[in-house]
Amino acid sequence: MSSPEQWTHPEPGETPAATAASPSAEQVIAGLRATSEGGSELVQLLTPEGERVPNERFDPYVADVTADDLRGLYHDMVLVRRADREANALQRQGQLGIWVPLLGQEAAQIGVGRAMRQTDMAFPSYREHGVAWCRGIKPQELLGIFRGTDNGSWDSQAHRFHPYTIVIGNQVLNAAGYAMGQRFDGKVGDDDGEATVCFFGDGATSQGDVHEGFVWAAVYDAPLVFFCQNNQWAISEPTERQSRLPLYQRARGYGFPGIRVDGNDVLGTLAVSRWALDECRHGNGPVLIEAFTYRMDAHTTTDDPTRYRISDEVETWKLKDPIERVRVHLVRHEMADEAYFDSVQADADAMAAELREFCFSMPDPPTSHMFDSVYAEENPYLAAQREEFLAYSASFEGGH
Amino acid sequence: MTASAVRTGTDTTGAVQSLTLGKALNQGLRAAMEADPRVIVMGEDVGRLGGVFRITDGLQKDFGEHRVLDTPLAESGIIGTAVGLAVRGYRPVCEIQFDGFIFPGFDQIVSQVAKLHARTRGRVRVPIVIRVPFGGGIGAVEHHSESPESYFAHTAGLKVVACSNPVDAYWMIQQAIRCDDPVLFFEPKRLYHSSALKAEVDTTATPDPLFASRVVRAGTSATLITYGPSVKVSLEAAAAAEQDGNSLEVIDLRSLSPMDLEPVFASVRRTGHAVVVTEAPAESSLSSEIAARIQQECFYSLEAPVLRVTGFDVPYPPAKLEEHFLPDLDRILDTVDRSLAW
Amino acid sequence: MPDFKSFPLPDTAEGLTEAEILAWHVQPGDTVTVNQIIVEIETAKAAVELPCPWAGLVTEIHVAPGDTVAVGTPILTVDVDPGGAAAPAAASSASNGAAPAATDSGAEEEMKPLVGYGSKAAAVTRRPRRGPAVPAGSGAPAAQVGVQAAFDRAASVPIEVEKEPAAPVPATAAAAGSPRSAVPLAKPPVRKLAKDLGVDLRTVVGSGVDGVITRDDVTTAASGSTVDSQPAASLNGVAPSYDAATRERRVTVKGVRKATAAAMVGSAFTAPHVTEFLTVDVTPMMQLRASLKNHPDFRDVKLTPLAFCAKAVCLAARRTPDVNATWDEAAGEIVYKEYVHLGIAAATPRGLVVPKVRDADRLSLRELAATLQELTDTARDGRTTPAAMLGGTFTITNVGVFGVDTGTPIINPGESAILAFGAIRDTPWVVDGEIKIRKVCQLALSFDHRVVDGQQGSQFLADVGALLADPGIAITY
Repeated sequence: MSSPEQWTHPEPGETPAATAASPSAEQVIAGLRATSEGGSELVQLLTPEGERVPNERFDPYVADVTADDLRGLYHDMVLVRRADREANALQRQGQLGIWVPLLGQEAAQIGVGRAMRQTDMAFPSYREHGVAWCRGIKPQELLGIFRGTDNGSWDSQAHRFHPYTIVIGNQVLNAAGYAMGQRFDGKVGDDDGEATVCFFGDGATSQGDVHEGFVWAAVYDAPLVFFCQNNQWAISEPTERQSRLPLYQRARGYGFPGIRVDGNDVLGTLAVSRWALDECRHGNGPVLIEAFTYRMDAHTTTDDPTRYRISDEVETWKLKDPIERVRVHLVRHEMADEAYFDSVQADADAMAAELREFCFSMPDPPTSHMFDSVYAEENPYLAAQREEFLAYSASFEGGH
Repeated sequence: MTASAVRTGTDTTGAVQSLTLGKALNQGLRAAMEADPRVIVMGEDVGRLGGVFRITDGLQKDFGEHRVLDTPLAESGIIGTAVGLAVRGYRPVCEIQFDGFIFPGFDQIVSQVAKLHARTRGRVRVPIVIRVPFGGGIGAVEHHSESPESYFAHTAGLKVVACSNPVDAYWMIQQAIRCDDPVLFFEPKRLYHSSALKAEVDTTATPDPLFASRVVRAGTSATLITYGPSVKVSLEAAAAAEQDGNSLEVIDLRSLSPMDLEPVFASVRRTGHAVVVTEAPAESSLSSEIAARIQQECFYSLEAPVLRVTGFDVPYPPAKLEEHFLPDLDRILDTVDRSLAW
Repeated sequence: MPDFKSFPLPDTAEGLTEAEILAWHVQPGDTVTVNQIIVEIETAKAAVELPCPWAGLVTEIHVAPGDTVAVGTPILTVDVDPGGAAAPAAASSASNGAAPAATDSGAEEEMKPLVGYGSKAAAVTRRPRRGPAVPAGSGAPAAQVGVQAAFDRAASVPIEVEKEPAAPVPATAAAAGSPRSAVPLAKPPVRKLAKDLGVDLRTVVGSGVDGVITRDDVTTAASGSTVDSQPAASLNGVAPSYDAATRERRVTVKGVRKATAAAMVGSAFTAPHVTEFLTVDVTPMMQLRASLKNHPDFRDVKLTPLAFCAKAVCLAARRTPDVNATWDEAAGEIVYKEYVHLGIAAATPRGLVVPKVRDADRLSLRELAATLQELTDTARDGRTTPAAMLGGTFTITNVGVFGVDTGTPIINPGESAILAFGAIRDTPWVVDGEIKIRKVCQLALSFDHRVVDGQQGSQFLADVGALLADPGIAITY
């Protein structure tokens, strides 16, 4: 259980973030420092150099992590990244209409994904392919949205992973409602309690739906973890455009804890997520986690980041790569050898080849899919339209 | 376009430029900002990036960050603060990044933008322009291919227009900005970068009025009534109809509220056959409105009921199915045949 | 076996139609791996590097730096099986029955990309259909009638929309002219016509598909030629209303009555009518008639005095063509006609009907008689077609049939003269200075003084009279 004293007591930073259209030099420097370093309250268990640093508060939450577990986390991140890169290439080859890359955010997603239980529920935005991986959804199943054959058709109830939501912030309100349902069902209050995690970015924290989600989750004590991946950019807008203060500090205004973790530290993210979920299961929710990370690629394949950000920034963040620090750690502590890394690479290659082949051979859906499933119950007006359309289509040589 | 605004030639500098629809909007915005210092542009990614479609490219660089605002990510915020800026005396031009994202702002549009002038008995004006890339055909994911214009045409207090070509785009955006009423300005996104649709824009010409429709192709057999992205496909259908021996008249409505329907009525009285073409689904829509008005004003002239070629009454489908959803040449001509055979 | 794959330019940013090639990173002959960056392109949105979809050997590059290429255009070809035996034509055709390799060794398989806007170039022609493009009649009226019938029948049963009724609900027979429960099927322009002509659509049987009432149906009904021969009282389906208090009966003005009235008013108040009278001793005509009855040519034809009158009119019109002309106000012209379409006014149960004998001037007396007989029979039966009532140039109104001597007839609109042919009576007459009983009748000619002067009118009337008084005169024409 946590009490208000244990909450992070946020104070505004020494220098306010840039708010004016023409920031001062101090503000620019402060902004750069904020984006590169995360501030003094950043929770980190594994440094970019692969060093394990002690953290009194959160070490207990990863005390049970074995070498095997760590290798597993490494494996997860490598494969998730590989799937992401393969899908990006497939888009460039004309096999997908668009791809939303998660490059750089693997640790944030695997960390929270592996902290969740099977009975927990996830409400993603549209970039959480790493969380989908943890929920048992193969990369193939994500492709339909990006290829244009469906809008997300995995079994969201079975996987406890809601369909991707493209309208920014909608899912946060939806998640609040779901979490309220968990509480109303009496599934909250002990070790076996259920929880919900909703995912959104830094840009989304400006949307009304997200703030309304904060209000509702708070007043209903919903077991909801607000997992914000602050990857520093909302298309071309830096986080300063969305907020004066670090995002995790917003939670205080609504009356619940907010915490910032190094989103490129899979161990740190795992620990903080376990803590947050624990709080929620026991009825102390909601909680806001800000995973401080970086969007290494573009917003989507349609975007061109060279138009608005400097490449030096990207280079800086390459030094904080989430996968590299774990690899270094594994090597230094003799938890993995060359053969192991080769086998992981082989797994990744095999998975990528399978993904590629699957994508190339994805069939177009039948045209009747437009009409099917619009309603749960019959709509005769629409049924008539469907019949008319199918008859019309069949009247052409070659079908339609 | 009126003859005075169109010239042949390859001149790309000076008064006549060959522009895509997107570039024409860019130039029109630029001209509007030069003409009136109270005009400001605001929206997500419109400044440094120049907009996800590059429609506002270069404007922040030239006019400054106090006139081209990169806003936080919230449509209700964009519209709501624009109302306040308008009350203060600015003329905001808001960009909604994609049609499907206008809905968080719907409350502000209907409750404030549309009603403030009436509420204050005309003391407070709301000269806001809300620019919306709309329509499908770009192979996009959900919410990026909508046609929500009917919601706004249905809302009293708003004016709604849709351009279909670069020359109109250049002039209509400036006229909308100068208009003292709030204008929803719909732009056919699939045509933004179309080089096939490039046109000569003469910046010294006198344009047609904003709230006027235009006969873009004369004909005698039947009348096609359309707007926005469907103008192009309607013209293509009319060209193909010649082979069937049918001469189709095509009318670009341009203004969706208020609609300029007199030319439509005159046409239908001559042809006796009316077909409305829109991407927006038919149920309770602008096309319903057009059909109702035509049957009221041209009742005795109708040899067939007013027929509509539209998207189906389903959520916009995944990209692989969109060509079946969108009105195409075959569906338009099939409907024309039905009308003529009635 | 070489397996060539062709890479079409993809749409990299949701709706792009083209891109410019910036730089190639490979050349023909290079070995490439999957996802190896092979080319850099520039689009409307950004500069983008493209990875290779396959591993293999680059065999051909199709576009050069600086080219602007439409999405969907093949940009390079890769042989994904370069090590495979490039079997000569003979060997490969021997291995299986596949198509000869001669034409096929380089068959390229073009990859089907996710089509961006460019690959699906807008169609400019219609796709081929199977069978007729538009189902005949579209079935719309049938569907509508079917639905209406469903509503009529299923008062207490939940209504199901009938998509295809087994047979269209038959348009209710005109039996008894009873009003149908559903609205008659007619297009708006036809409704307007019916309204103008005073036709009640509920009494009209539609001859169009699915019982739709056509324009012709309405004009036919207006001229009173439907099968229905009910007394006027129930013609309009409305019983005339008798008011015992005022002892008056009101009948709505509709149908033929209304049309006739309109025509009369139009004629009377447009053309300046002058009527001239001539009394004629037609005894020689009647004698000729009697003797012709025994003539073989006239054995099976009813030869009436009207036939003689018609013949006389046609002959006299040759001399005075003005009576056969028309005043065209709009064009400011008088139209002289080379033909005589002779209208014969007939009374029918529906009212006045004027069927025409076309080219009467070319008919012999026998043909005239036969045609008149047929016309009269048809009119009495109410079967005169609309075509038969159009285009007249001169009218004879046979008031004699009613035992009436003469009158001041009103010219048919579109014509310039009308002749009233009176009853033939035994009348005392002066013949060679002595009173004899002769067959005498009166002719009254009304003519349009804009077209026909007094002298011409008189001339014409005198000629007709002379021919009837002495048919032998005809030989001088």
